[in-house]
Amino acid sequence: MSADAVDPITLGVVWGALQSICVEIGSTVQRTAYSIQAREGQDFSVAVFDAQGRMSAQGPYSPGHMGAMSFAIRNFMDAFPADRLEPGDTLLLNDPQLGSGHFPDFLVTQPCFWKERLVGFGVNLVHHTDVGGSRPGSQAVEGIFDYHQEGLRIPPVKIVEAGRENATALAIIAANSRVPRNVLGDLRSQRASLLVGEQRLRELHERFGAETVAACVDAMLDQTEQRVRARITEMRDGAYEFEDFMDDYGTGTPPLRIHVTVTVAGDRLAIDFDGTDAQTESGLNSYFNYTRSYVYAAVKCLTDPYGPMNAGALRAVEIMAPEGCFLNPRRPAGGGPRAAICSRVFEVILGALAPALPEAVTAANSHFCNATFGAWDPVRRRRFVGYELIHGGIGGRAAKDGCEAMSSPYNAANIPVEAVEANTPVIVERFGFIPDSAGAGKQRGGLGVRRDVRILGESIKFTNLSERHRFAPFGLFGGRPGKLGRTVVNPGTDRERQIGGKASVDLDYGDVVSFQLAGAGGYGDPRERDPEAVRRDLRLGLVTPEGARGDYGLET
Amino acid sequence: MKTPPIQVAFDVGGTFTDFVLQDAQGRLHTHKRLTTYPDPSEACLAGLDELFAQAGVPCAELARAVHGTTLGSNIVIERKASHVALVSTRGFRDVLAIGRQKRYQLYDLQIDKPEPLIERDWIWEVTERTLADGSEHVALDEADARRVIAELKEKGVRSLAVCFLHSYSNPAHERAFADLLRAQAPEIEISLSSDVSPQFREYERTSTTVVNAYLKRAVRAYLAAMSGHLQARDYRGSLFVMQSGGGAATAETMAEFPVRMIESGPAAGALVAAHYGALTGHPDLVAFDMGGTTAKLSLITGGAPQMVDTFELHRVRLAPGSGLPMNVRSLDLVEIGAGGGSIARPHLGTIQVGPDSAGSEPGPVCYGRGGAEPTVTDANLVLGYLNPENFAGGSLRLDVEGARKAIEEKVARPLGLNLEQAAWGIHALVNTNMELATRVVSIERGHDPRRLALVATGGSGPVHACRLVQALGIKTAILPAASGVASAIGLLVAEVKFDVSRTLLTALDAADPAALFTEMEAEAAAVVRHSTGDEPAEMRREVDLRYIGQGYELTVPFESASKARAAFEELYARRYGMASPEEAVEATTWRLTAVGRLATVELPHFQSGVLPEPHRRRAWFPESEGWTEAAVYRRDALPAGARLRGPAIVEERESTTVLPPDMEAEVDAYGNLLVSA
Repeated sequence: MSADAVDPITLGVVWGALQSICVEIGSTVQRTAYSIQAREGQDFSVAVFDAQGRMSAQGPYSPGHMGAMSFAIRNFMDAFPADRLEPGDTLLLNDPQLGSGHFPDFLVTQPCFWKERLVGFGVNLVHHTDVGGSRPGSQAVEGIFDYHQEGLRIPPVKIVEAGRENATALAIIAANSRVPRNVLGDLRSQRASLLVGEQRLRELHERFGAETVAACVDAMLDQTEQRVRARITEMRDGAYEFEDFMDDYGTGTPPLRIHVTVTVAGDRLAIDFDGTDAQTESGLNSYFNYTRSYVYAAVKCLTDPYGPMNAGALRAVEIMAPEGCFLNPRRPAGGGPRAAICSRVFEVILGALAPALPEAVTAANSHFCNATFGAWDPVRRRRFVGYELIHGGIGGRAAKDGCEAMSSPYNAANIPVEAVEANTPVIVERFGFIPDSAGAGKQRGGLGVRRDVRILGESIKFTNLSERHRFAPFGLFGGRPGKLGRTVVNPGTDRERQIGGKASVDLDYGDVVSFQLAGAGGYGDPRERDPEAVRRDLRLGLVTPEGARGDYGLET
Repeated sequence: MKTPPIQVAFDVGGTFTDFVLQDAQGRLHTHKRLTTYPDPSEACLAGLDELFAQAGVPCAELARAVHGTTLGSNIVIERKASHVALVSTRGFRDVLAIGRQKRYQLYDLQIDKPEPLIERDWIWEVTERTLADGSEHVALDEADARRVIAELKEKGVRSLAVCFLHSYSNPAHERAFADLLRAQAPEIEISLSSDVSPQFREYERTSTTVVNAYLKRAVRAYLAAMSGHLQARDYRGSLFVMQSGGGAATAETMAEFPVRMIESGPAAGALVAAHYGALTGHPDLVAFDMGGTTAKLSLITGGAPQMVDTFELHRVRLAPGSGLPMNVRSLDLVEIGAGGGSIARPHLGTIQVGPDSAGSEPGPVCYGRGGAEPTVTDANLVLGYLNPENFAGGSLRLDVEGARKAIEEKVARPLGLNLEQAAWGIHALVNTNMELATRVVSIERGHDPRRLALVATGGSGPVHACRLVQALGIKTAILPAASGVASAIGLLVAEVKFDVSRTLLTALDAADPAALFTEMEAEAAAVVRHSTGDEPAEMRREVDLRYIGQGYELTVPFESASKARAAFEELYARRYGMASPEEAVEATTWRLTAVGRLATVELPHFQSGVLPEPHRRRAWFPESEGWTEAAVYRRDALPAGARLRGPAIVEERESTTVLPPDMEAEVDAYGNLLVSA
């Protein structure tokens, strides 16, 4: 059956069903996952693929894995062609180049059979707490020169074969993690959710038959592609360049340039990272699948935020990055902490397309912080791994200020203080906005956020993962950059010291780490800001009288 | 049979206020009145007086009055309260503004958060700190607290929320602060998070406590005035108010915990669905309520609506994560933008229906009030399902031509369909949206819809109910009579209930909740005794469990640790596919519900007789390959025991039932239509 032969009503019904299967898989992951970043931070993604390995629908979770998923499924299929798959199989990989760019991301898929025929795949990807390597959390920047120091690499393997668990593989995986129970628990959660998805996919085929479902998927992808192309056509043709820098890739290292050229030509977008710095001898590299994910996310935000996300949405976009640059490194480059790069990839696309789409873009966001640390808990007498996920604000927009205290495109929730403290021996001493940190503008950026954490562990191995300590979040159209972020150990004491955004340091029992995120960039000339808005910020204590005078010329 | 007590229920909705009175003979008297703004009590009192007169019952003989109100929800939506403040632990002033930070729309760069109810300059910090295990880390600094209280007075604060970190674990600091406040500023109303919502996760607890503080003064004044008006009419009982969790409580209790009555309408609707299920022998069912802008779906199991212990108020376009979280027991409801007014348009080669709605103003094209976008109601009219001369009791004449033209131009032509196919597509795709939502409330919660019945209410519910049961393989649909005042009947069938909870994080094996339950039972029983004059008929113990390390819990009955564990494993496997019996289980929140029983409501019986000769009307069904003659009946003329066979249409004042070809329905003794697939 061809896509044209599907009637609009059947198409609507099948489309809705595929979407709801993703939601069902995702809500099962969230509710059954073990690790705190998956269940509270929702650092996972889910999707459904057809038998050809094309993504037919995705769930509304972290977009960062989406570009990766499309390619990862093909890599699974290369390793295990259809004739080597059978009902009850579950496949796993975490290879950075085949998957989503670093070892902690476990991609799991389960083929779905209907009438002994492969009809599709349910897929999910969960960020696991720790998969070994040199630092707890497996995301170190410093001290890494290739990925063999980052933990256990898993090529595509069947962890369940025709319903039988591969105990050998699971034992090896567990033995290589600092928190084996969490890893096994999260894997169980990934598998349980895919069982739910498989069941639903089978029911869909039961109801409509494989030919009709396949024809509907063809039609979905075509329709989505046409819509994205139509949106691109509305953009002014041209080549748009933009450049920004990552602070560094470890203490004492130089900045990393990201250069992008976005070419709009008719109904096609070409995005080329030529001019970007070379891959680093550190953990800070973004394997190409991961880079692509955030390019797709940015394009989607700017073209069709409420449209469907499937393989069709990707067809009109061509992405290039020279092999060997840090956005497309060669094996065996490290990649553990690559989450620090995603915001910048996303933002340079926004920055490049700002002249073409001034109403749609935002100025740069506060960068998030994703520090990890391992230590000995002298009270419970065990080692533990702590994990912080701190978000600031969004950059200013054409018609309004940047959204306050909101996750950037990687879209994760924060972790409640009361949950963190119940799970790990830390005391969060403060968590709030930093006055005067927002980038000034006609529409100001969101504020930076400060979170101070006292760690009650011995021999603490602390790994920072923060940004915008040297290069501030940019403003747009005359808007000012946000205030720089900082990471301070023991602030306000005589032992106060600043550490780098990528630093790996040893800390003592009771040390406080103060994470101070940058403010987001402003949009438009601050002198055009409504004085009432400035007075309101002043009343709320979000700007100080000095800030109001300095940034906006408001005398109080 | 003993004489039933005289009871009245009145439920304020967005458009109508509904009234039901049951007299000493057990007869139900119903009434409806337009809701009045800004003071909804005007319509309540006028309607009550009219109903008392109509039923010939003086207010003085009334044994019980139950009230359902959207007042709480309206105060929050319209940000009507003022002089409300929050005190937090030093260093955590911004918890409310920061929230959980997740994007509720992944790719929309223009989203905003809901405005917090309390602005930053009305939030104070106090030096104190408790840790997760309840131990004191920093003592409450009394001098600092007194300074803050002086500033609260100075600022003119009238209602205060206090939320200190880990107060669910140890409320001592919050209570000490409250003592200082009462001594120094007794005029300030206070809501402690350890009283309102003693559960972990600081943002959700703060949000709940703040809403409570926000509502307190207005709700207290409103309920006191309403009680006063009833007393002036010689009513001697308590005024009962419906809670979001489906139980009634006295006005005095609600004045203390107004956050609990913030969304009573849906709970009443589910209770009435459960009641009709019980009448017809279906304890497990889906309650389906489809109105003008949304469809609401919820699950009833074992005769009781499924509840959740947290919900979000005022989501943006119904998106999860966009509203204000409330730790309040409420109906486990899925609400989607699928109603009679939902707008249909071509989208990506198919038809998108909703989530936006033409509402009642301008309304569907066929209302002739300026609506230009074709809607579900327009499609139902074009298909011949609705009677243009008899819509809303004939008060509104529907414009068939207008509806046809709009669907033809805006849906059929762009998609290359003919008019009837397009109208059918709209009808079918809104059904799909509701089918998916029904799957969420049934399958995601571990229940196979094929084993459930469905109770349909709301103006559009019975138009779509039969298609929904077909798609889901549901065997029976129950279409109640008098569905127009269904939620008011729901108020009458509500038990008196009070829920209390405490967080105590502990391994289930090591848990010793006896003292906790004793304390909660005393608290809840006192409320029930005060409400009914009797000891509670039932105390339900429950506990939230999870595998150690997980972050979300399932609530199961608690009798003993081993039984709770078994119930948890069963529910877990049912909901998520597989349990992990070798893993340790942790208890988080312990819950107790005290229930007071009251006389139940007896619904009036329909007379049996001969099925009157129907009218005939052309209606479009795919099974008939197009237009066919359908039998058309009036609902109030149907005798008990009558059997109808589709294609048939049953009209009543507030709604229309569509029975597709080959489906059958029976009229039961209460005038309900029981449809079998």
